[in-house]
Amino acid sequence: MHLLDPTKHNRREFLRRASSLALAGGAAPLALNLAALGEAAAFEAADYKALVCVFLYGGNDYANTVVPFDDASHATYSRLRGAGSGAGLVIPRAQLVASELRPTAPLPEGLRYAMAPQMPELASLFDQGRLAVQLNVGPLVVPLTRRQYNDGVLPRPPKLFSHNDQQSVWQAEGADGSTRGWGGKIGDLALQGNGQSMFTCISISGNAVFLSGRNALQYQCSRAGAVSIEALRGSSWGQFFYEPGMRTYFEQMLKRSHSHQLAEEYTRVVRRSLVAEQQVTGGLAAVQLGTAFPDDNALGEQLKMVARLIGARQALGVKRQVFMVSMDGFDVHDNMGPRQVVLLRKLSQALGAFDAALRELGLLDRVTTFTASDFGRTLSVNGDGTDHGWGGHQFVMGGAVKGKAFYGRPAPLSVGHSDAPEDQWHVGQGRLLPTTSVDQFGATLGRWFGASDDELHGVLPNLGHFGTRGERPDYPIDLGFMRT
Amino acid sequence: MNRNLDLPIEDIAPTQAPDGDIAVAGSPPADSAPVGAALPIAPGSSAALAAAALLAACGGAESDDDFAGAATPAAFRNPGTAVHRQDILPLHGHRATRLSAQRYRVPTPGELLDYAERAYPQFFPTRQTNVEWDGIVYRFYRATGNYVGVSGGDVLVLGPVSGNALARVGSLQDFSALVFAGRPVLAPASDEDAARFLLHAQFSAGIDQIAQVRSRGYEAWLDEQLALPNSQSGWDWLMEKGYSAIDVNEFFFAFGSNNYMIWYQLFQSPDAVRRRWALALSEVFVVSWRGIKDVLNWDNFAMAHYWDILCRHALGNYRDLLEELTLSPAMGAFLSTRGNQKENPATGRLPDENYAREVMQLFSIGLLQLNMDGSPRRDAQGRPIESYTADDITNLARVFTGYRLDDSGPSFINPNAPHQRIIHLDTVRHPMVLDPNQHSPLEKRFLGVTIPAGTPGPESLRIALDALFNHPNTAPFLARQFIQRLVTSHPSPAYIERVASAFANNGAGVRGDLRAVLKAVLLDDEARGAASLASNSFGKLREPMLRVAQWGRTFRLRSKLGRWKASWGPWNPARELGQYPLDPPSVFNFFRPGYVPPGTAMALEGATAPEFQIVNESSVATWANWLLDHMSEGIWVQVPDKPGYRVPGLRDNIDIVPDYSAEMALVADTPALVRRLNLLLCAGQLSPATVTLIVEGLRQDRITAQAPDDFKRIHVARALVFVMCSAEYLVQR
Repeated sequence: MHLLDPTKHNRREFLRRASSLALAGGAAPLALNLAALGEAAAFEAADYKALVCVFLYGGNDYANTVVPFDDASHATYSRLRGAGSGAGLVIPRAQLVASELRPTAPLPEGLRYAMAPQMPELASLFDQGRLAVQLNVGPLVVPLTRRQYNDGVLPRPPKLFSHNDQQSVWQAEGADGSTRGWGGKIGDLALQGNGQSMFTCISISGNAVFLSGRNALQYQCSRAGAVSIEALRGSSWGQFFYEPGMRTYFEQMLKRSHSHQLAEEYTRVVRRSLVAEQQVTGGLAAVQLGTAFPDDNALGEQLKMVARLIGARQALGVKRQVFMVSMDGFDVHDNMGPRQVVLLRKLSQALGAFDAALRELGLLDRVTTFTASDFGRTLSVNGDGTDHGWGGHQFVMGGAVKGKAFYGRPAPLSVGHSDAPEDQWHVGQGRLLPTTSVDQFGATLGRWFGASDDELHGVLPNLGHFGTRGERPDYPIDLGFMRT
Repeated sequence: MNRNLDLPIEDIAPTQAPDGDIAVAGSPPADSAPVGAALPIAPGSSAALAAAALLAACGGAESDDDFAGAATPAAFRNPGTAVHRQDILPLHGHRATRLSAQRYRVPTPGELLDYAERAYPQFFPTRQTNVEWDGIVYRFYRATGNYVGVSGGDVLVLGPVSGNALARVGSLQDFSALVFAGRPVLAPASDEDAARFLLHAQFSAGIDQIAQVRSRGYEAWLDEQLALPNSQSGWDWLMEKGYSAIDVNEFFFAFGSNNYMIWYQLFQSPDAVRRRWALALSEVFVVSWRGIKDVLNWDNFAMAHYWDILCRHALGNYRDLLEELTLSPAMGAFLSTRGNQKENPATGRLPDENYAREVMQLFSIGLLQLNMDGSPRRDAQGRPIESYTADDITNLARVFTGYRLDDSGPSFINPNAPHQRIIHLDTVRHPMVLDPNQHSPLEKRFLGVTIPAGTPGPESLRIALDALFNHPNTAPFLARQFIQRLVTSHPSPAYIERVASAFANNGAGVRGDLRAVLKAVLLDDEARGAASLASNSFGKLREPMLRVAQWGRTFRLRSKLGRWKASWGPWNPARELGQYPLDPPSVFNFFRPGYVPPGTAMALEGATAPEFQIVNESSVATWANWLLDHMSEGIWVQVPDKPGYRVPGLRDNIDIVPDYSAEMALVADTPALVRRLNLLLCAGQLSPATVTLIVEGLRQDRITAQAPDDFKRIHVARALVFVMCSAEYLVQR
């Protein structure tokens, strides 16, 4: 079976061994590893680029986010979503008229979509050409048809439909416990051009495997910026350690090396915290951002911090950055209608403000923002909510995005099990079988970011099963939504 | 220091096998007559038939030392028919053996069988592997024709050694001292060892408790604690404090008094071992306050009731815990069993799969099929085997249909909003009730179990939960997590297997006995022994909430006005605690049991370190800052003298204060002060180098015994910030 042909994995194997050796040696010889690649030239350009991942934890329901709008589709959607209590989960067509998404090139067969009514900012960005919709994207090891999925011969992503595992698969292509994500691996490629900066990968939403690379660590910053250890510098309450000598001993104790693995790892984080805090706080002090972000919007707070950190990019010494922010609460098994509406409104307002902030910074075409989520949800209704699915629709936003367009294949609206074509792209209850893989999605973003094709194959381990190398030109590794 | 406080080994271990007193059990046992093991069996006797059955059972085995594939002897299928025989594998020096047995845990079947081979090679002459059949674990020795096995808590032998009649030679517990003879007797050798045990078993260590553990030994002390009655429930505490009042404070809306309740219990409940264990259970069988507070009235009481269920069953049986949690209003609201309706073919509506998925993935069997030591089972290609499919979930989801809250109690009107009707308080305490008309009548087929179409809801639930309870994964899946919560982040397979064995069988044939599981975790050699203390990878990062509970208990927190309104939240990103009991971000707890910190020494070994999932450049700083805010004065609370917070004219204040009197008495003797904190907080695990830095740091204050109390108090607080920021404190070994 050609998928398991070891010759196709040589490069990946090399990367893996190189990095294992590097880590085994104690201090990570980044230069050695990256020099061995010899392919990081694209990252040495003097310009700035950033990728921002907006992760929607819980599994966002695609069908009520990008809603079928043409008469036939909306009728099918209404029938499938109309089950359950009251009117079910149907957004009436009349409410969607104002937010219809009108792509530059109309979709075939009269298909039309509308943005959820609570997302006027995103509908407007689509119209302005700075937002694209990637249809039915999700984790795949290889391209699959429903028949192949059912046969179970070709590999499927591990642990489908499970929250934590699919979050990990989206971010790191392995189930829970994976230690490297494709955001971090893209960060690895950028480390050299960034002068090994620890600010290459920054999470504002806590720990996410997406941003862990072979050598790039994720710097985790709070939504209010870097947090200082006040005992070392005194605080607004007065100096806790009154005697300066006491602060010196305290700092020595905090930084001391330990032979115990867990103690040493904690200490490594403390040391990074101390160094980073000074740089970040100093850098942010010089950034004044006039753009207003929405109140009571945690994602907005996170994106505001991302914008400020981008504003401080020179002080932080970075030319390429990968950011991660997130929202919780998309696991709407019940009471989905009112719950999802609130979330989508916040998402749209936060992204709208972020777009404005990037305009203010003059970096609209330097920063590309994309959404991701555990999985899409079922089309079937379970009463007043929906259950875990697989593929879903995602947004890509920025000045470098070829917006006002849909990418990928529109998913048929179906929960049926016949041999008819419309029943072939879900795996039960309308759980979409992805027609675009996360690898293709990531590769398209990574190529814009500056990674070469070879590098992308190292970053995204299943990429070789797609595109021309995988002899599947119908699953291209450049989805076309980025300007080059 | 001699750790063998008990009898010398030679007094309790059989130095040689019993000689010629083998007896054959007739029926009745009183008729037994001495017969040599090698005597021929009279044709036509019942013993001969049994022997024939045995030979048939093992017939066809191709190799002398390979028993795999042979059938289980018929007699083993009826262990209840075994004749009691104490003469075959005698328990030498009965009284002494039983006394010393109290110091040892119950052996696993494998440990017992290993012992039998060591002690009785003439009967059990080779090293055999375990055969498992329907709850019986046994080994067969072709050379002698003997079997030895364990069924429930009983040790059984069969073959020429027992005159070919099934014989019960004792219980697993009876053999514990023999099995473990030669191992260190489980009593602490030092104050540090005792403190280490206390910090595994409960939240804190006190000087008096250290002395108690040293005098009684680990297990006897633990048994005393486990015998304490379950203390005041969370529900009763909220009632006592007035949070059931229906007034303008709107306690029925996400008020957060459940946070006061849980912190009070972590700080104060007398049955600290049970509470510590229940807190660990709350991180496995998760209900998160943030997941219900906006969808259920009286969420505070619902959380208290959930906590009370954990505390009640913590020393009971997992099966009971699983069922009561499943039907609890808090879980029903959290994972949407509440209001879950059967399928409707006309509209295409299907049952909600949320609980079906999580009860398997998180609360019982996990995603991958496991061996008893927690390692994944693999198929012929070496791939891990998933433990269930999407079809299993779809089918199991039908079991959880038809449930709704029991709202039979009268509702009432919100005093602040006449149009709002609020449910009766008891609605969040009564188990959910079944509406048979909304229960799926379809067949439910999952994990190899079939619940026939039309089976009533309660029976469906019983069958389904029994299937999860009895699944071979459940013991190792839960055992590993329990060890992680209490002792070490990356336990050895052998440790997991010992705890899983205790789950599978508490020594008396009972599965799911959580008291036995807790004892197995805490009393294991790996937790107690010196080897793990010397390892550079053993242990776990202390969770923030455990650090706070430890501080609160060690320094005997007191609420000046008795209301205990401690509560923290993510209010200030520079000073937040980052972990709030009973309120993790999702059903996946604060961190995942499989988390491996990237780019670390642990990652190279694939070693899990769950708590590191919430450690980052910000959190290490916020912890240090949190300490600054609390160590010297105590805990600032809202309107400390009233339950509500909308009380005009009353002020917020410091109300919950530590007692540092013993430490303040030591300020002039810095090494003694640090030694005390090292013992109580760290079980002596601060290294001399760290102690030196702390002592030198504290000496900068140049404090004397004559200093004013305020200075002494802040000096103690400074010492605590040093200790509790030290990586050697933060990692508990």
